[in-house]
Amino acid sequence: MGGTLARRLATLPALLLGASLLIFLLPRLAGVDTVRAVLRSRVAEAEPDPVVAARVAAELGLDRSWPEQYLRWLGQALTGDLGLSFATRTPIAPQLAAALGVSAVLAALALLVAAVVGIPLGVRAARRPGRLLDRAVTGCAVLGVAVPEFVLAPVLVLLLAVAVPLFPATGWGTPAQAVLPVLTLAAFPAALAAQLARAETIDALARPHVAVALAKGIGGSQLLWRHGARLALTGVTALSGMFFAGLLGGAVVVEVAFGIPGLGRLLYDAVIAQDLPMLQAGLLGVVAVAVPAGLAGELLQLALDPVARAAVEA
Amino acid sequence: MIDRLFRCTDDLRGPAAPAGPDAVPSGVETSGETRKAPMPRPTTPRRRLRARPVVALAVLLGLVTACGSGAGPSGTPVPDGELRLAAQFAPRSGYAMDTDDAFVVAQLGSAETLVEAGPDGTPQPGLATSWAQTADPRTWRITLRPGVTFHDGTPLTPAAVVTALSWVAGVTAPPRAVKGIGLRAAEDGPSAVTVTTTAPDPILPLRLSSVNTAILAPSAYTGGPPAVVGTGTGPMRLVATDGTQSATLERNEAYWGGRPQLAKVSVRYVTDPAARALALRAGDVDVAQGLPESALLEFTPGSGYDDRTVAAPRTVSLKLNQSAAPFSDVRVRRAVAKAIDRTALAEQALAGSALPASELFGPAVAWGSQDPPPAPDLQGAKDLLAQAGYGPERPLTVRLQTYPNRPELPTLATAVQGMLREVGVDAQIRIGEYGPQEPELLAGRYDMFLLSRNYLTDVPDPGSTLVTDYSCAGSYNIDRYCSGEYDALLAPLATTADPAQRQEVFRAAAAKLTADAVGLPLVHSQENAVAKGVAGFAVDPLAKSLITPELTRTG
Repeated sequence: MGGTLARRLATLPALLLGASLLIFLLPRLAGVDTVRAVLRSRVAEAEPDPVVAARVAAELGLDRSWPEQYLRWLGQALTGDLGLSFATRTPIAPQLAAALGVSAVLAALALLVAAVVGIPLGVRAARRPGRLLDRAVTGCAVLGVAVPEFVLAPVLVLLLAVAVPLFPATGWGTPAQAVLPVLTLAAFPAALAAQLARAETIDALARPHVAVALAKGIGGSQLLWRHGARLALTGVTALSGMFFAGLLGGAVVVEVAFGIPGLGRLLYDAVIAQDLPMLQAGLLGVVAVAVPAGLAGELLQLALDPVARAAVEA
Repeated sequence: MIDRLFRCTDDLRGPAAPAGPDAVPSGVETSGETRKAPMPRPTTPRRRLRARPVVALAVLLGLVTACGSGAGPSGTPVPDGELRLAAQFAPRSGYAMDTDDAFVVAQLGSAETLVEAGPDGTPQPGLATSWAQTADPRTWRITLRPGVTFHDGTPLTPAAVVTALSWVAGVTAPPRAVKGIGLRAAEDGPSAVTVTTTAPDPILPLRLSSVNTAILAPSAYTGGPPAVVGTGTGPMRLVATDGTQSATLERNEAYWGGRPQLAKVSVRYVTDPAARALALRAGDVDVAQGLPESALLEFTPGSGYDDRTVAAPRTVSLKLNQSAAPFSDVRVRRAVAKAIDRTALAEQALAGSALPASELFGPAVAWGSQDPPPAPDLQGAKDLLAQAGYGPERPLTVRLQTYPNRPELPTLATAVQGMLREVGVDAQIRIGEYGPQEPELLAGRYDMFLLSRNYLTDVPDPGSTLVTDYSCAGSYNIDRYCSGEYDALLAPLATTADPAQRQEVFRAAAAKLTADAVGLPLVHSQENAVAKGVAGFAVDPLAKSLITPELTRTG
């Protein structure tokens, strides 16, 4: 475990450096005139003006060569200075930190709900495959995977904010405002967790050591949870790190639909406005969080699964 | 709740509400009047549900849950009420006053300009009470309104005005209202300033009605974009902003135009139109801007909603590249004009969310055409195409490009494609982001392009649009149109200050563009907002005004 952790941590700087290069290059390789895009983000229907464009390019440092721009940005980032946003002309770091915090809370709550709802349902469904509960859980899981967020969000709002006004339809900052976005965001991972837990549990219950447990007289719920669900958790845990990273920057639909000032919306706005410093810092932030999150998920999986642990240590 | 679920409204769509108050005193020399009334525009009825999946789903579910209840638009004003607003546009540039974010600040009633735009497009008093050209025609003397204080308690002085105007004129990318005119401001005594431009500028007062020239307290200008919190002069004082999520305003007790009715305004920036509709339906907000046409079906007067829809100074035009075949031939351009049914585009393709256009300028402005567009003439179009050498033996194939940022454009492109097919023109649609397409458009490397353009963006005078978009030297002449006759028509705009004479030029220019088949104006856009439990509510098509001293909650 310790060795695994050390090896993974050792690769982190190289991974971040490689990611920073890709993050820097990709928007520039897209062929978009950044200066013009920035000007249009400030004034939507401004006509092109080469003189103004040259002045803005100089102001934003875009008149320098790409290597110079990259090294300058990297050097500043290493000292914690993420620069100024092209759009707002204010420091990026506070905006990014705030958005990252919002998205982290949103993603963590969604994963928590997904785990609390999805795993027990999947495990219970696995107890008697093909029976009513199993069919119901499987059907709901298919629905949860198939229904996109842009459909689920308005449906939940209409049901739980309009028809039965229990929660606010938009906004962020109070527990009540978090309910609908978290439910929307949790639907897909919950469905996946239920399916995965069900499959893993059915597989676990068929293993020889479970037969031994049955021979010892251990049965019912104890068997299900102690021997089946524990193994089922390993698969779900391995996915959770990846899901967390994905939800951090990828919850654009939910953040836009509910007016949440998260990282997904920040990145979306940055792409539209060609706000390169914001885009670069945001993506770097996602990578910086995703790598440790993935590592944490992997370590948790090793802690839960002795077979996988033995394979790594061998 | 159960009965609410099963109760149905018998009137899904009642008659549109009347337009809001629009009495603004005219005359340059007046002072101390009630103000902030937006330009009056015709209110139009809604027509049909538009088949957009998400919104349609929301509407269907909304109809299940819709239950008419609550007071109508008229009610007893609630003193010191709080208004909750779902705003359509979030500040994208940190409320920087040299960007479009200035519209957000102005709409919220926080910042004001020296001059206001009257309903007929004439300059009206704002923070300035009067103005006049001096003996040097390049210089205007502007008298400031007495007794005005900024939200930070400091008085409006000539020095403060000079600071604000100098800042906006000196930014790296000056806004269009002051760009390229060499604007300089100087103090002129204890209650006036002079504003000088490089050349005589007949519309300088109108330029000073641009929200980008709003005057903030000197404390706002400390380097970088000005700080807008607590530095305006308007009826509401901006007290807090939370990025692109929200803003909070409180009443400016010392407002020069009288005590505002509202005590507080809470703004949520909800950029998704369906989410704004749902927030209004859920009662999270009292006013929602820019709702989708289909969502408006459920906001009926019978349910207590007050829907205001006004014509906007925005036209969707089909640009035709005149620098190359086939549209260098005026017969082909006229054939396209005859083939397209603009009324059907507005009423069917866009489900009534737009108005059919007969000219560049529409009902949003005093000089705009009120006439319906000509009916389509398919045989006439085929004849013209045949004269130009196109027909079954030599079919015409063109590219029809547009961009998806405005959702109506791809819809219109599809409808136009179908109409052109009727006369034997094969239009191949290409949809992509506007930015990468712009250089190709300006270089004349395209056939047809659907463009949505606001012709009064910063100043209620389309003179600059007529020059940049259609003159031989125009910097945004996508049509690649060049006519000495047209340029000569515009010449008086450089010297004419009289609004009536300028409007005659605008009319003549628009008629000339129609006669020469320069592009094809298809539809005029509309703006809307819906309120519940609110009085004194109106929609400003110029997007400069929303929160006014008269706006109040009702109970």
